[in-house]
Amino acid sequence: MKELTISSDAPRQRLFVLGNEAIARGAIEAGVQVAAGYPGTPSSEIVGTLSGVAKELDMYVEWSTNEKVAFEVALGASICGLRAMASMKHVGVNVAHDPLMTASHIGAKGGLVLVAADDPWAWSSQNEQDSRYIALQGHIPVLEPSSVQEAKDMTADAFRLSEEFGQLFMLRSVTRISHGRSDIVLGEISRERRKGSFAKAPDRLAYVPRVARINKPLMLERFERIKKAADTLAYNQLHMADSAQLGIIACGLSHSYTLEALRWLGLEDKVSVLKIGTPHPLPEQLIIRLLKSVKKILVVEELDPFVELHVKAIVGEHNISVKVHGKDLVPRIGELSTRKVTEAIARLTECKLPVDFAELDKLEQEVAPLLPLRPPALCAGCSHRASFRAITAAAQRVARGYGEDVEPIYPGDIGCYTLALTPPQNAVDTCICMGGSFGLANGMAHVVEAPIVAHLGDSTFFHSGIPPLINAVYNKANITMVVLDNSTTAMTGFQPHPGTGYTATGDEAVSLKAEDVARACGVKFVEVVDPFDLKAAIETIEKAIRFEGPAVVVSRGPCATIELREKRQAGQKIVPCYIDQDKCNPRCDACIKLLGCPAIIKRGDRIVIDAPLCTGCNLCAQVCPHKAIVQE
Amino acid sequence: MVKEFNILLAGVGGQGVILMSELLGKAAIADGLRVRGSEILGMAVRGGSVTSIIRMGDDVYGPLIPQGKCHILIGLEPSEGLRHVSYLSKSGLVILNTTPIFPFTVSLGQSAYPDLDHILEKLNSVASKVIRLDAAQIARDAGSLLAANIVMLGALSGVELLPIKTATIKETIRTRFPAEVAPVNIRAFDLGYQACSQAVK
Repeated sequence: MKELTISSDAPRQRLFVLGNEAIARGAIEAGVQVAAGYPGTPSSEIVGTLSGVAKELDMYVEWSTNEKVAFEVALGASICGLRAMASMKHVGVNVAHDPLMTASHIGAKGGLVLVAADDPWAWSSQNEQDSRYIALQGHIPVLEPSSVQEAKDMTADAFRLSEEFGQLFMLRSVTRISHGRSDIVLGEISRERRKGSFAKAPDRLAYVPRVARINKPLMLERFERIKKAADTLAYNQLHMADSAQLGIIACGLSHSYTLEALRWLGLEDKVSVLKIGTPHPLPEQLIIRLLKSVKKILVVEELDPFVELHVKAIVGEHNISVKVHGKDLVPRIGELSTRKVTEAIARLTECKLPVDFAELDKLEQEVAPLLPLRPPALCAGCSHRASFRAITAAAQRVARGYGEDVEPIYPGDIGCYTLALTPPQNAVDTCICMGGSFGLANGMAHVVEAPIVAHLGDSTFFHSGIPPLINAVYNKANITMVVLDNSTTAMTGFQPHPGTGYTATGDEAVSLKAEDVARACGVKFVEVVDPFDLKAAIETIEKAIRFEGPAVVVSRGPCATIELREKRQAGQKIVPCYIDQDKCNPRCDACIKLLGCPAIIKRGDRIVIDAPLCTGCNLCAQVCPHKAIVQE
Repeated sequence: MVKEFNILLAGVGGQGVILMSELLGKAAIADGLRVRGSEILGMAVRGGSVTSIIRMGDDVYGPLIPQGKCHILIGLEPSEGLRHVSYLSKSGLVILNTTPIFPFTVSLGQSAYPDLDHILEKLNSVASKVIRLDAAQIARDAGSLLAANIVMLGALSGVELLPIKTATIKETIRTRFPAEVAPVNIRAFDLGYQACSQAVK
């Protein structure tokens, strides 16, 4: 039998998948024809999965330059009548915010779905914002799955609903859905393939003030119709328990935790539960029924009190006598868990906890000081490590000329290179948003006297580094902008971008060079360096910093992970470095203190190189003052 | 019928933790079990701690193991095993690869690595049993240093508590790996299985 895959047309068969694969499968089942996105944890595997089967299933799939463009690609296809999807992480939705707020006025022709993947606890993000507020602002209906299976089903349904109501829909995922794993039951794959056509309709599509005024009431009418339908959508389910005192309103994944918590506490038949699959708009009649049947309500949802605020508004409007709890008992920060929900329910029901959590916390506190810190770190052989050695060495040299206590400023950005935040690099002074390094540097340049070296990666450069670069030229900001070019989007899983020479579906494409872009934008100092030629790289970056006006240095070196993989596949030998113990002064520590490479370790009094980890990049040999490091 | 069986896999980026959970999950559904789980990717994987969860059974809904409910904790690295000790249930079992991986913070002098004895003492204070294995050495004996994760998977099967059949896991390994490396991985699995079943006895 042929092994089942994500594209198998095998209804009712079970497949073990990642949540993001389930979302991709839902789109496949719905017959999505256009999908676009920009990589960002925890959303990346959605477009990643679709790109792998695009040709086989006759879909158009792309990695776009940023989320705004990705959403516009999907919107354009929807306007031409095709089912289209854009997927991105929560902070990516901010980038797409501008078109999003007007797109909701248009009325979708082809089913249009935005997947927003939130990241409670900010596992791999700069914040843990709640995408439902953006949907609220744009009158965009939201589906929020409680499981990986439902993520698949809801995605498929979202396209149907979008066409039925003529409205853009959002699917809100969270890390534990997107990066959850589960068996799912597959559905049928739609083979419908529409031909795109553009019908001119300026009163619906060209938003001059008059058109905004025409379409806002239409949008609000559509939203009202969806609101009425929410009460009968199967994703919202009310389970009433006989003579229950407590009712729980559980949104999305929180419903899974709630079911487990109730079973753990032995309260399965004693508490009424309303499962919410559409946090926006909420199923108001179901909520009112529940509110009127109990004395106390607990709203369980991840991140902000979105459902809770609406429930409280309903209580007020209908003058219902019930006490509503939510974020007073369920944490607003971080991910929820069965434990957190169990504790909240136990407090409201005065139930005994099934496990002595205090004892477990005590154990955790006892263990914590024993554990070594194991933060993520730049890989052995990473070209960014070499780039940061060059940047910091050059910047410190220049800073001396500004005065004794002047430190260089390093506005940083989002990617693997954010890991240079920690010692020994200490070269990320700010990290706010994609492209923010160049942007912030523009502001600092006009108000502080210090060398400013902003840095970002190649994918981030194309995403949002170019407008602040042009701004620096136009407004004469005296800054150095370094593009850390490893020719991939490494942090999120090595996705291609406009500089890599191929597309999401593996087709050949242009390979834009950051240095060409910078020159075309009018930057007068543009140089490319090889960071593993450390001495030359330091000299060039020093010149760039001393240059009056904006300067760009492209520091180009391969991603060690990709390079290693390619070498292994080609059967090439990797020749590690080793330390000649006769020459090494173990009290010097320069290699460790300057580089922090995971392959250089202390073993007793000696410093050694962990050969299986070492890629032979030779950077340490260049910083060793005793010439003790050599390649075998 | 399996109601709830929780496995937590803890290790360091690059050890193949995610692959282990993928194999376990596929084998579990081949044996007709419901499976839930989750993992942390992205920022955390660059040499950092990696955790993956596999839960099986009809009473399982959420992707995370409730604290105090983990049946088997697999530590692919000693300190990473210890990091999750509070998840163990009172009758929980630990299978520990005793080869440490020192994080760069130890070389930089920012943190210290605990004694193995200290780690074992803490784990033993909660677990019903701690099974120790030199997975790196066993993987080397099997013929591939990279197969330490498969050794641990064999060991997990060797405790004979899993609701998944050993034959199913081996079949999953055979289909997952290219034909030229499948035998080495099966050998690693078998050696891990033997090492563990001896330890249990």
